[in-house]
Amino acid sequence: MSKPEKLIENGIRLDGRKPDELRPIKIEVGVLNRADGSCYFEFGGNKVIAAVYGPREVHPRHQQKSNSAVVRYRYNMASFSVEDRKRPGPDRRSIEVSKVSREALEPVIFQEYFPRSAIDIYVEVLQADAGTRTAGINAASIALADAGIPMKCLVSACAVGKIDGTLVLDLNKDEDNYGQADLPVAMTPDGNITLIQMDGNLTKDEFKEGLEMAKTGCMAIHEMQKAALMEKYSSQIEGENNE
Amino acid sequence: MSNEIIAELRKDYICNLMIKGEREDGRTFDQHRELTIETNVINKAEGSARVKLGNTQVVVGVKCQPGTPFPDTPDQGVIITNLELIPLASPVFESGPPREDAIELARVVDRGIRESQSVDLSKLCITPGEKVWMVFIDVHVLDDGGNIMDAASLGAVAALLTAKLPANRYDLGEDSPVPMRNVPVSVTAVEIGGSIMLDPSLDEESIAGTKLTVTSNQEGEVSAMQKSGIHPLTTEQINYIVDIAIEKGKEIREKFLVI
Amino acid sequence: MDKKLVIPGEFLSDDPSQADEGTYVENNRVFSSVFGIASFNNGIRVVPMAGKYIPKPGDLIVGIIKEVTYSNWIVDIRSPYDGLLHISEIPRRIENDEMSKYLKIGESIMTLVSDVDANMKVELTLNDQRLRPIKEGRIIEVTPSKVPRFIGRSGSMIAMLKNETKCNIFIGQNGRIWITGKDKGMELAIKSLLKIEKETHIPGLTDRITKFIKEEKGEKVKVKVPEKKEESIEEGIEKNIEEEKTSSGGILDELLGDEK
Repeated sequence: MSKPEKLIENGIRLDGRKPDELRPIKIEVGVLNRADGSCYFEFGGNKVIAAVYGPREVHPRHQQKSNSAVVRYRYNMASFSVEDRKRPGPDRRSIEVSKVSREALEPVIFQEYFPRSAIDIYVEVLQADAGTRTAGINAASIALADAGIPMKCLVSACAVGKIDGTLVLDLNKDEDNYGQADLPVAMTPDGNITLIQMDGNLTKDEFKEGLEMAKTGCMAIHEMQKAALMEKYSSQIEGENNE
Repeated sequence: MSNEIIAELRKDYICNLMIKGEREDGRTFDQHRELTIETNVINKAEGSARVKLGNTQVVVGVKCQPGTPFPDTPDQGVIITNLELIPLASPVFESGPPREDAIELARVVDRGIRESQSVDLSKLCITPGEKVWMVFIDVHVLDDGGNIMDAASLGAVAALLTAKLPANRYDLGEDSPVPMRNVPVSVTAVEIGGSIMLDPSLDEESIAGTKLTVTSNQEGEVSAMQKSGIHPLTTEQINYIVDIAIEKGKEIREKFLVI
Repeated sequence: MDKKLVIPGEFLSDDPSQADEGTYVENNRVFSSVFGIASFNNGIRVVPMAGKYIPKPGDLIVGIIKEVTYSNWIVDIRSPYDGLLHISEIPRRIENDEMSKYLKIGESIMTLVSDVDANMKVELTLNDQRLRPIKEGRIIEVTPSKVPRFIGRSGSMIAMLKNETKCNIFIGQNGRIWITGKDKGMELAIKSLLKIEKETHIPGLTDRITKFIKEEKGEKVKVKVPEKKEESIEEGIEKNIEEEKTSSGGILDELLGDEK
């Protein structure tokens, strides 16, 4: 698609959203049998799946930490997840995304409970549509809880951007491609920011306002994450009563 | 393929059941686990399918783009099949380039599709000697519950059946379906203590001495085979597996995979 | 307040003196550290819905041999940390080259965690008459954090299960359960245990499991003798299973006695 003339008109974006509106989110917890914890997360056109293994033995052994667990995060895009087929395997971008995503989650994990072990987080992007790293962090955070990993809280993530001079929440692909800024943020429910990146151009005031918008978005996502976790077990309770 | 420790007690239990003609999940020896195939699950791919075979889950995406033909087949398109055993799918899979198990799986999936001539490669030719369609089949294994082979193979065929050549995107005219003329179905059996069981679960697969995959086409002919594992098979066992694989392949084809 | 399902970071109380397992305290407030069931009697604790086994000295567990080295068996105990069983920790003296004869890869043991050091080196022993290699029966795996629910209040659940299925059942702290008995009894015991695993968070567990077992037994007999009345069906079953009872596993009874 070539650059649309306008990305936002009369306060309505091309996909019909208002500036402060998230794309639809669908969450399923415990979708994988082998993994210790797992989560399928749809965020607009993004489809990601996260699995957590651990705490478990560390291979290779030299990665062990004597007083805490090591957290490893592998973000990977399926070859068919993007318009032009991606070559399988890690590239520079996915290695960077893996690093910052790991650092977004590490501060909430009680790593010191499991010295000399590893907590492995695997995020597979099955379909990409701008915002895969935030979708991955949202999914991974739920998968960690599903695996029973002790943590201070969940982490929630979304991006804020600027299109046609207007700040908007949660960029879609066209807004990401043709917008003027992209500011992905991950945070805890009490407002501690665990990931922030930016590219593009924002004034100081826009940045500050954008960060507040991201906060509101993350709070909304946190509620959905909580509801999805509750759903995993509440549906069973209902099923039991219906028998 | 697994290097997990399976407890001797579990082995004994499964073998004892087998002697009584039973399997842990209540299936008969020639019965598959529950199979679901969902197509068009990935919009970014030209064709896609999500397959659940018992606890095994795979997603297959087909991407098509113009490319250069091989010099020895200047008027034929190219199919490339790739499969990775990513660490998300099992505690024993590791990151890194595909190892022999993954490469074997990909090649057997590829062989079934290629040898049954299911894709009409000549119709993938755009300009002879210069430009042909390259069809990439990428198998993403999400959950290893045993018999990834059949799940991957079914997913690849289901994804191809829904795939479109995106001609419009490359200014090559109208989009059209990937030209399919046959539907290969692979059926895998394992041998445990002399008995043959179809569609092995993870534990059955780890206990088994050997696996045999038989891919048959819609004419009921055998298009590809692979024996995997160190235990030898008798002629009778192989003949039996061929017979039943063709029969079960027909059932699966009629139920799930219609051109 | 009763029990409720909570997520990590959920606020539980203003009284830090109440904070127990599965919680953490920040600024004098108590929060959940896991996704699980919070209970508020005698302190606040949260039992996670999932998680690995973390060994403690004194735990009775079921391990599976995963490697045999020069003088140690390396034992899978469903934990991030392997257990080590030294050649001197078995009841009889054997030579190093006989280790695989005594216990080979894939064999199971009922063992005791004798020590866990600061480096999470986990030492196991079989040097106790209650402990031994496991040569028969079935082993199933459940969530380690849920083990207390399988045992029940002062052993009520396990006692009921043993009685109803006429099996010997040993519940390892690492969530591996060893069952011995006749095939039918073991099947029923395993079905019931898996139901407990799925439904630990739903109130009224013991009653529901009791009902489930009665129904399962009833169904099976109804197929055989459809004209019999309900009471005699129950009796018939009891008799059936009584006949199937094995003589093995007296040791298990002793053990379970200890658990209570």
